[in-house]
Amino acid sequence: MLTNDSLLDIQNRMRENGFLICFSGKFTQAIIEELGEAVKKYLEMEESPRNDIFNIFSIFIEQTQNIRNYCMSKEGNEAFERIAHSCIVTIGKTEAGNLIRCGNLIEEKDIPGLVERIAVICRMDKTELKMYYKQKLREELPEGSTSAGMGFIDIARKASQPLEYSILKVDDSFSFFTLQAIV
Amino acid sequence: MKNFYLEGSKSTPEVSLDAERHVLMIKGQSYPENAFRFYEPILEWVKQYFEQVRESVQIEITLPYVNTSSSKCIMMLLDEVEQAYTNGKQVCLMWYIDENNESEFECAEEFKEDFDFPFNIISLNTGSSLC
Repeated sequence: MLTNDSLLDIQNRMRENGFLICFSGKFTQAIIEELGEAVKKYLEMEESPRNDIFNIFSIFIEQTQNIRNYCMSKEGNEAFERIAHSCIVTIGKTEAGNLIRCGNLIEEKDIPGLVERIAVICRMDKTELKMYYKQKLREELPEGSTSAGMGFIDIARKASQPLEYSILKVDDSFSFFTLQAIV
Repeated sequence: MKNFYLEGSKSTPEVSLDAERHVLMIKGQSYPENAFRFYEPILEWVKQYFEQVRESVQIEITLPYVNTSSSKCIMMLLDEVEQAYTNGKQVCLMWYIDENNESEFECAEEFKEDFDFPFNIISLNTGSSLC
């Protein structure tokens, strides 16, 4: 017989936080697709408004693909395995609305660039976001790019409230980045 | 010119570029792992096709969901259409949307804003033209 009740613990904590769906581990394209479709089906079953489902799904995809791209940029690097296994995404419901949160370890040296990119977006209103989005859509990308660098902007546009983020120091080389969007 | 066909998957649309019927169709969700790699052969085909086509071309797009990197590729594709139109080719785009989803309509409208060629947004529900 199992003696510890840690699963119940996890469930209680998830419930307290309003989590409906949580995945923690290495993100692959196949996992992103399966989870994405599952999220969509779940929300359809709950009879959530069409627009909300679309926005939650979009944010989910952009967040997870952002993380996946970050991980892949570390391939062949010492930090790769740790970062790749540090990914988490949750979808939950609170009084504020549907919460889509994701997090992952980031290397210390990547923090300034990340903060610079996201802080600008957090300050923009919807009109500014649209203009910024269109400007980025038109920009030429460097040869061999695998991402358009527009994920955060799109997430901010689809969220109904400004994005929030946090960066927590884990050790000398890594911090944990969390991004939250509300629909 | 040879026709181009790709079956759809969860994260990639069905693509049918028909050089005999002159109908170019993209249909389905688009969020592949690497959008640039996915769209590269499509853009290449379209570029070559517009160089030699004399007939009028119909483009049919249905993208219930498109991620940011795919949007960038769609933009490049529409740039090719615009270029062809400017060069005097006959082109007409039908962009199909689910009328129950406001965001899909907005997405189509935002693409439309940037181009001069005939760009129709059509309801999948009723078949009528929305703008």
